[in-house]
Amino acid sequence: MVGSERLPDAQSNQPASGSVTAGSLDEALKLRKENPGLIPYAGGTDLMIEGRADAAYLFLGKVPEMKRIAQDDEFIRFGAACTFSQLICSAHTPGILRDACLQIAAPAIRNMGSIGGNIGNGSPKADSALIFMATNSMLRLVSADSERILPIRKFYLGRKKLDLAPDELIVEVLMPIHGIDNYYYKKVGGRRALAISRVAFAGIMDVRDGIICNCAAAFGSIGDVIVCLDEIDRMLVGKSVEEASALKEAYIDAYNMAIVPVAGRVSADYRKQVCMNLLRDFLESNHI
Amino acid sequence: MKPISKSVPKIDHCAKTRGLAEYVCDYDATGMLYGRILRSKHAKADVLSINLPAMPEGYDFIDHRRIPGLNRVHIVQDDTPVFAERTVEYIGDPIGIIVGPEEREVDRLLACIEVEYDILTPEFDARKSPVAFFEYGYEKGDIAIAFAHADRIYEESFETGRQEQMYLETNGMIAEYAQGKMLVHGTMQCPYYVHTAVAEATGLLPEDVIIAQDVTGGGFGGKEDYPSVLACQAAVAAYVTGKPVRVVLSRREDVEFTSKRHPAFCDIKAAVKDGRVTAMQIEAVYDAGAYTTMTPVVLQRGVIAGGGVYSIENLKVKGEARKTNTVPSGAFRGFGGPQMFFAVEMMMSHIAKDLGEDPLDFKLAHTAKLGDATSTSGMHHFNVPLPAMMDEVAQACDYRRKKEAYADQQGRLRKGIAMSAVYHGAGFTGIGERDIIKAVVRLRKDKDGYAEILVANTDIGQGLSTAFTKIVAQELGLPFDRVIIKLPDTGRVPNSGPTVASRSVMVVGELLRRAAARLKDEWLDGEEQVIEERYVHPDFMITFDIDKFQGDAYPTFSWAATAVEVEVDTFTGDIRILGAWGSYDIGTPIDENIAVGQMEGGLVQSLGYGMMESIAAVNGRIRNNSFSDYLIPTAVDFPAVDVSLHVEEYPEGPYGAKGAGELPLVGGAPATIEAIENAIGVKLSKTPFLPEDVVKALY
Ligand SMILES: Cc1cc2nc3c(=O)[nH]c(=O)nc-3n(C[C@H](O)[C@H](O)[C@H](O)COP(=O)(O)OP(=O)(O)OC[C@H]3O[C@@H](n4cnc5c(N)ncnc54)[C@H](O)[C@@H]3O)c2cc1C
Repeated sequence: MVGSERLPDAQSNQPASGSVTAGSLDEALKLRKENPGLIPYAGGTDLMIEGRADAAYLFLGKVPEMKRIAQDDEFIRFGAACTFSQLICSAHTPGILRDACLQIAAPAIRNMGSIGGNIGNGSPKADSALIFMATNSMLRLVSADSERILPIRKFYLGRKKLDLAPDELIVEVLMPIHGIDNYYYKKVGGRRALAISRVAFAGIMDVRDGIICNCAAAFGSIGDVIVCLDEIDRMLVGKSVEEASALKEAYIDAYNMAIVPVAGRVSADYRKQVCMNLLRDFLESNHI
Repeated sequence: MKPISKSVPKIDHCAKTRGLAEYVCDYDATGMLYGRILRSKHAKADVLSINLPAMPEGYDFIDHRRIPGLNRVHIVQDDTPVFAERTVEYIGDPIGIIVGPEEREVDRLLACIEVEYDILTPEFDARKSPVAFFEYGYEKGDIAIAFAHADRIYEESFETGRQEQMYLETNGMIAEYAQGKMLVHGTMQCPYYVHTAVAEATGLLPEDVIIAQDVTGGGFGGKEDYPSVLACQAAVAAYVTGKPVRVVLSRREDVEFTSKRHPAFCDIKAAVKDGRVTAMQIEAVYDAGAYTTMTPVVLQRGVIAGGGVYSIENLKVKGEARKTNTVPSGAFRGFGGPQMFFAVEMMMSHIAKDLGEDPLDFKLAHTAKLGDATSTSGMHHFNVPLPAMMDEVAQACDYRRKKEAYADQQGRLRKGIAMSAVYHGAGFTGIGERDIIKAVVRLRKDKDGYAEILVANTDIGQGLSTAFTKIVAQELGLPFDRVIIKLPDTGRVPNSGPTVASRSVMVVGELLRRAAARLKDEWLDGEEQVIEERYVHPDFMITFDIDKFQGDAYPTFSWAATAVEVEVDTFTGDIRILGAWGSYDIGTPIDENIAVGQMEGGLVQSLGYGMMESIAAVNGRIRNNSFSDYLIPTAVDFPAVDVSLHVEEYPEGPYGAKGAGELPLVGGAPATIEAIENAIGVKLSKTPFLPEDVVKALY
């Protein structure tokens, strides 16, 4: 082995005692219910960083129901344990999501990292979660006893706080098929690969017959959670492009008031300026 | 190219690519104690007490009171303690070492140690620091007259950042003390530096100390001085406990607490008469950090580079290295040069622009020529090939067309291109080789006709063992596999000097070539023979006076012309490198592939220094201490860099070779920053320049 940094539990090359691999969704849910201490583990690309020696994991990577990608009339249904590489290769994956997945980390991490993990770690920097937020996707949350569909925009309650019961798993992400082709996406990282977003922006502008049916902006990496402000976006919905142009500065001002980034590896001022630049460009590239 | 330049597979290639190479952390640790360093949590404080947890059997904590020799790590000077005695001078300053058989238990115990501090007021700003460790300077011509007669006078201040070496293998040492002998082995550039330091700290006789290099995963200067510190700590622990002690730093520890490139501030005042620079007055402040380590030598090199590659008749240069309560700054590829060249290159470009001349033409008009005086009133004894090299690069990157095309841009994405011209003085500064290093090499031929190279220089991934083997095999007319080179061990090899200063091929390689030539002449079949060669100072040199900074600072120079083209996203500040071109004169390459690889790697590292690599010590604390936080360029950040070799043979180097290793790191940053400046139309004066800086400059 080259390099000296060893994760505490990597020494034995064995998962911590008590870790289990589920072979089916039922089994995973049963294990989850009976062992509230088990930590769901998909690709482990977030969990390995912590490398907790005392933790026991529930491996989800072999749950067939969570590895599937399917499509019905309304939604593309991505199994939560699908990896970014899987998404990139799938014909079902819409452009905005593929663009984002292609900019995540580098091939090795994309081969292991999953969308369920990306959502489940609760990070405001999660690049695929940003796309699910912008597209108003739904999460299928299942426990041994219950099942619910929750808009992802309601899933994040605060810093690393999720609306996820201790016995629930994220099983699928339901992404709308329609109205997301006209998108704007920009990830700003410190470099072109293996870079965590410093600011990320995704926008959807669904214009039919000159009328804006949907406008959505999502800002990642600027605070505790990914920011989506439906009440501001609604200013432009139902408007013609000309009407929207008249509202443009008001819309931008509303965001200018609402967006208060925190400082991190970059300053709050930088984040703010980039958000506003991209928001304006999002509108202008849609002739607004 | 000469026959010697024809590329061969590196001799360490297979062992490394197959994972067979044994690094210090790969040694079986059975029976060894793990060591972890207790470090100061404050930037400046007096340690009042150290309260240990209950120590289980077999675990021990060792601080300065139990050092058998001197509590000093000899580097250039002796101010670095093995363990702090009372006052800690930076966050991370070692206070003691805790050792024991189980790594996790050692970690647990370390976390339980309570240190009581009396917190003192630290100094973080080198410009304000009252403690100047070193001050050097010199003068040439008469700047007062030049300024008095100037048409225009320009004044500017420049700033360069701290840079981390980010070698792949972190620092690590194993020390074993048995029967009165101390063996320390690990990752390092300079076994004999470590040797001197360990003998002093343990109080052992030099002959009872053996230092051996293990396979080393990169250095870039970061393993020039620091291994002496770690070796002393491990050796003291091994001496006290009587057991082998292994200390391997974690990545975070290594990034936070081992040496970095000196941050620097440089003020330049320049006089222009009839469109040409007639005088420069330069004042530089280098941030040395808490202890002196390599700083005097780094500062010397920086000061000597005053005036850059240009013949400036009237020159006054002063450099100071000031103490701050941050991790000691040390050696890093370029060694003081990149800071000064950045300032001078930017200054020249800014003056050119103000005068309405293209910076490339302006620089060409000032470039030193054969026979010209150097900054320190020595002489350019050899042809200065820069004009040709700059022309080659200008052609390769289409400089003039792009310069015009990018003159006046609007819109979101804006491009810029720029070129820098730099040198790196090959070998030790001044008379260091003659008076301090005094290199000795040996070749030992055995009865079967195998020749073994005995030198203290280390292959740290740069290809040195391959280069040495090629030189000796070529001179002896032997096939490659008849020449042996092993990892150096001070018990077996003479002191041929450290692996630093871009000296190894030029100086040690030449001694080996001479030894091989003699061995060939004196060859006796079936007999063991040992040939020794000692350093001979080139007689053409004007002796350097280190007190006055007068004379030939280097026997010769390696030259580089570097062009960088960028595209800046004015919405996000994102800087994309569209292309980077370098022409490098390192004399004859001893192996073309290796040389080109070194130039490419160094160029990329210098682009990182320009637009990505930033390690801030906020109140003395370095927070971005991991690979995910200290960003270095990845393979996709830069397109293929376009590197070419321009050969000016150096008659005193083996087959005409001169210094190579450091040169490519010097010129990338100024070219990058000027390219960004040209793209966004804002005058810039610091490196690194990050996306955040772009946005700040524009909005
Ligand atoms: C070098 C590196 C680069 C990275 N770059 C990026 C990047 O560019 N962009 C980005 O967004 N991320 C990046 N990441 C973070 C990480 O790769 C992603 O967040 C990834 O999606 C995590 O998925 P995983 O399957 O590996 O998660 P895991 O590590 O297995 O789990 C992450 C969290 O989610 C929980 N979890 C997992 N699955 C479920 C589930 N089905 N139901 C409920 N909870 C669940 C886990 O309990 C854990 O808390 C990077 C990580 C590394 C190491």
